[in-house]
Amino acid sequence: MRRAVLLTALAVALTACAPSVPGSSGSSGSPGAQAPASADRLTIGTTADVVNYNPLVGNSRTDSWVTDLMYPKLTQMDATGKRIPYLATEWSYSEDGKTATAKLRDDMKWSDGKPVTASDVVFSVTAVQKEKFGVVAGLITALDEAEAVSPTEVRFKLSRPDGTFLDNVGFWLPVVPEDVFSKAPSVQKFANDKDWVSAGPFKLTKVERGQRYIMDRVDDFGPGKPTVKQVVFRVFPDVNTEVLALRNGEIDMIGNVLPPATATELKSDTAVKLQEIPSLGWAHLQYNTKRKPLDDVRVRQALAHAVDYEAIRNIALKGFAKSSNSSVLTPSLPQWTDQASKEYAFDPEQSKKLLAEAGQTNLRLGMIYDQADPNIARWAPMVRDAAKKAGITIELQGLERNTYLDKTTKRDFDIYAGSWAVMDNPPANLGLAFKSGGFINYAQVEDPKLDDLIDQAQRALTQEEAKPPIQEAARMIHDQVYDNVLYVETFNVAHSAKWTGFQPMPSELLSILNPLSLAAAKPAG
Amino acid sequence: MRFIGLRLARGLLTLWFAVTVTFFLVRLLPGDPVLAVADPNMTEELRQKLLADFGLDKPLAAQYLDYLGQLVQGNLGMSFRQSIPVTTVLMERLPWTLILTISAMVVTIALGIPLGVLAATRAKGWLDRVIQLTGVTAQSLFVPSVGILLMYVLGVWLGWFPIGGAVDLDATGLGATLSMLHHLVLPCLSLVFIQLGGYVLTMRTTLIEALGEDYVSLAKAKGVRRGKVVWKHALRNALLPTTTIAGLQLGTLVGGAVLTETIYAYPGIGRAIYEAVGQLDFPVLQGAFVLLAAAVVAANLITDVAYGILDPRVRTS
Amino acid sequence: MTAAAVELTPRRRTWSSFRRNPLGVASGLLLLLLALVAICAPLIAPFPEGYGADTSQPPSSAHWFGTDDIGQDVFAQVVWGTRVSMAVGVSASVLAIVIGLLIGVCAAYFRRLDTPLGVLVDLSLSLPVLPLMILVAALAGPSVRTLAVVIALFSWPEVARVVRSQALAIVPMPFVSAAKVVGGSSLWIVRKHLLPGVVPVVGVSVVLTTSRAVLSEAGLSFLGLGDPNSWSWGTILHKAQQSGALASAWWTTLFPSLAILLLVLSTTLLSVAYNDARNHRSDT
Repeated sequence: MRRAVLLTALAVALTACAPSVPGSSGSSGSPGAQAPASADRLTIGTTADVVNYNPLVGNSRTDSWVTDLMYPKLTQMDATGKRIPYLATEWSYSEDGKTATAKLRDDMKWSDGKPVTASDVVFSVTAVQKEKFGVVAGLITALDEAEAVSPTEVRFKLSRPDGTFLDNVGFWLPVVPEDVFSKAPSVQKFANDKDWVSAGPFKLTKVERGQRYIMDRVDDFGPGKPTVKQVVFRVFPDVNTEVLALRNGEIDMIGNVLPPATATELKSDTAVKLQEIPSLGWAHLQYNTKRKPLDDVRVRQALAHAVDYEAIRNIALKGFAKSSNSSVLTPSLPQWTDQASKEYAFDPEQSKKLLAEAGQTNLRLGMIYDQADPNIARWAPMVRDAAKKAGITIELQGLERNTYLDKTTKRDFDIYAGSWAVMDNPPANLGLAFKSGGFINYAQVEDPKLDDLIDQAQRALTQEEAKPPIQEAARMIHDQVYDNVLYVETFNVAHSAKWTGFQPMPSELLSILNPLSLAAAKPAG
Repeated sequence: MRFIGLRLARGLLTLWFAVTVTFFLVRLLPGDPVLAVADPNMTEELRQKLLADFGLDKPLAAQYLDYLGQLVQGNLGMSFRQSIPVTTVLMERLPWTLILTISAMVVTIALGIPLGVLAATRAKGWLDRVIQLTGVTAQSLFVPSVGILLMYVLGVWLGWFPIGGAVDLDATGLGATLSMLHHLVLPCLSLVFIQLGGYVLTMRTTLIEALGEDYVSLAKAKGVRRGKVVWKHALRNALLPTTTIAGLQLGTLVGGAVLTETIYAYPGIGRAIYEAVGQLDFPVLQGAFVLLAAAVVAANLITDVAYGILDPRVRTS
Repeated sequence: MTAAAVELTPRRRTWSSFRRNPLGVASGLLLLLLALVAICAPLIAPFPEGYGADTSQPPSSAHWFGTDDIGQDVFAQVVWGTRVSMAVGVSASVLAIVIGLLIGVCAAYFRRLDTPLGVLVDLSLSLPVLPLMILVAALAGPSVRTLAVVIALFSWPEVARVVRSQALAIVPMPFVSAAKVVGGSSLWIVRKHLLPGVVPVVGVSVVLTTSRAVLSEAGLSFLGLGDPNSWSWGTILHKAQQSGALASAWWTTLFPSLAILLLVLSTTLLSVAYNDARNHRSDT
């Protein structure tokens, strides 16, 4: 009886706590925080499980983060998006552009003791080419055949000159051990869910699904022994809990990009350090050019003038976004940008004028977006409200992710609001996005002149050569509003101040948890 | 015995219904499972190949029959996303959900019954009001809000409990068990909150009624001590609806577990379902539903049998 | 005539007994207040839309409940959210009770229907509710009406089952058999004997269903399956979660949570009080 009363009292007390949630801004050093970090273990928070351990197949963020630590790629990327050596030390094209070669370093080893050789690279690329799966398949259509000239040299024969080939293969193709993967009847269906043979700086040793993924250091990793002994990925439901865990000292880093509001708030926390990572993609609105009246360029321009770009960047993104001057050549890849490009001004009067010219009154359009994307869910209503000022009614269709993807691939929308994550090579990416019939040509652009320009840029073997046609193409996309680029996000990634030495690279895919960065990370002080 | 046999048959029928309904419901989901697996940029050729791999190219009826055939043999199929058997996926998650739901149920009953009796015997007294108010308040809380509150106050502020997860990485032996219990406290508490009110209220209502029943008065008249009357006669009577609720609760418990497991990053089946919906992983989704339906059918069966034992009127009718 | 006179007395007795219960009266008043807020929302606060310069401000005299991360007034969101949350809760609950009562009584009274209806109830109960709601909500697309129907669709079996088990205990009672022998129509027996018999239990079910409907609405919206064009309490929480502000900008979490708590709590207390008042035997 007394105990029951006590329990009741406790329960009442507990619920009574409810109204007194403390404001937390500036409350650094939590009681849960412990002694300085040791180099024994770095724990990273993520919001999803590894779904597929086959690096050639898996495409979720967590999949990439984990498998990138296990399977090397030919190249890495520096802060400006330029390729730098990883497994490959040098790479080049032949004069006619129909042969590409890559030389490999000879000090990389699989965890079963065998060396990483050119035939592993040939096997990986051929498997993808034959079975046609994953991101890479769509990027290597020029490939005829790959062959190992020597254990440290790979030669790719191409059916046409393609200056984007090495960039694409280098950045996107994980190299897998031929001995292990070739035993599976289908490489694509190979689950690779145990007894991993890997060659990256860390090897996966233990999996507790739904909880954590434990990876141990590889002492004889070619490019240099990692400082930290063990990397652990821990699974959380969302970024809110990750922030609590980071403050509680339970994790050392949040893998996911912080929502802008959280980043602003964590800035004042001295126990946490934020790293700014440029995005390689952009957020945008696309207008379905196959639907009336969006086939009229004046209507598209009217829509482009009816977006308050500044407000979206400053309020929804809290200033963690750059203007791309309405160009698809973003400031993240400075070697490609076109200084002359100008952002569409937010000018409802101009919109009204353009609409009148096009003979449009009471324009009503639907706009689809992924309800689960926090940034877009934030600015979608802002797009609607700004368009209202120009007399345009936009109906929001915030969809569940799969429905949204489905409508996107079926091109079933008036306006599409979304973002592209990694657009690392303009000639290759603009081809996918704006050439007639391109895989991600959501706006259904069909413009022969644009196709020509992009083809020209793809054939060019050097960046200098590709730049003029691609800039011309970007200007067309700008003027015709084939794409309305809103901003390029500046990602914020948080880690405990007890760690240092990370090597940030662009995009949330690489961020500070790319293999070279985690291999270099060390306890501060 | 015939009674049990009948119930068993009915349970199987229910299970078959559940399998059928979820099978078609899952396949009505908007979106393309192939898209969720592979890059949206894939070729049409690859799309067709994947559809064939998943058996999604056949007519729906054939897919359904295939599935039933496999199910009878205990084969739940292969996960689209993970390329491993669904049974493996589920078995990794099941123990955690069992630990969570069973512990929550035990705590709820252990607290709910005495609180209900206490409230009923002191109906309309201040203790009754306090118990009711507490139970009802707890039940009215919104799981995610409570989750964040508990994690913030008891986790970050006071540092008593860990944030999310099910067990510490380094714990072994007894330490692992302790760590498990340590991680269990907050999610379990959330689930107890949701259910306790229902238990106490039902307990209280029926007990108040039972206390007024003729046979209780009769027992009192015969001079049986009041405490004994309450506990023996009335309690036995009140157990009926409580058993009903207990059977029912399993369903809600599992539902509550989805939200709870999601909030607390607890690696159970509920979270696996939530993830599978997002990934359109039909076999995992379907398998999880079959498993849960089987659990609830089993629980109902036990409830029904218990009912029969507790109240002969049900058995004879 | 005489029957009506006999009926009136207990009803009056219920009312006078109810009035003496401070918790019940307070909950009733609170519910009335919430309903008033829901109805008069446009008079209390402007519809929350657009964006403001004061982002993520804690509560102040200008913004009683603070502002969210794009500068919208949280007070206005909660006020307008009252509308949607209450509408969904009430309509789902009414729908569920009607279906549940109908099926529960039928199953208990018409013995031949018992098995098929029982299987139907078992089936609905054996399916995990929230995951299925997630499925159906994803299927039907997010709208307020979808939410109400989906929640009702998965809430009635509990009512039905409790009603059935209570009614089962009444059907074999002597007065029911007597009524049958005398030749009373089924409808009459159901209305006269079964319904009054099950009402105490339904009272508790009303409680559980309404509160669950409101909570389910919040849960679904929280998981991102709500209606993006209207505000409910769950939607506010969902947006707070998306912006990562659940723990830091506590006002965006606390006030909608509190609103959910108050509504669910008052519905529950109200019907408990009603139940007690109606249960005359406990008066003595």
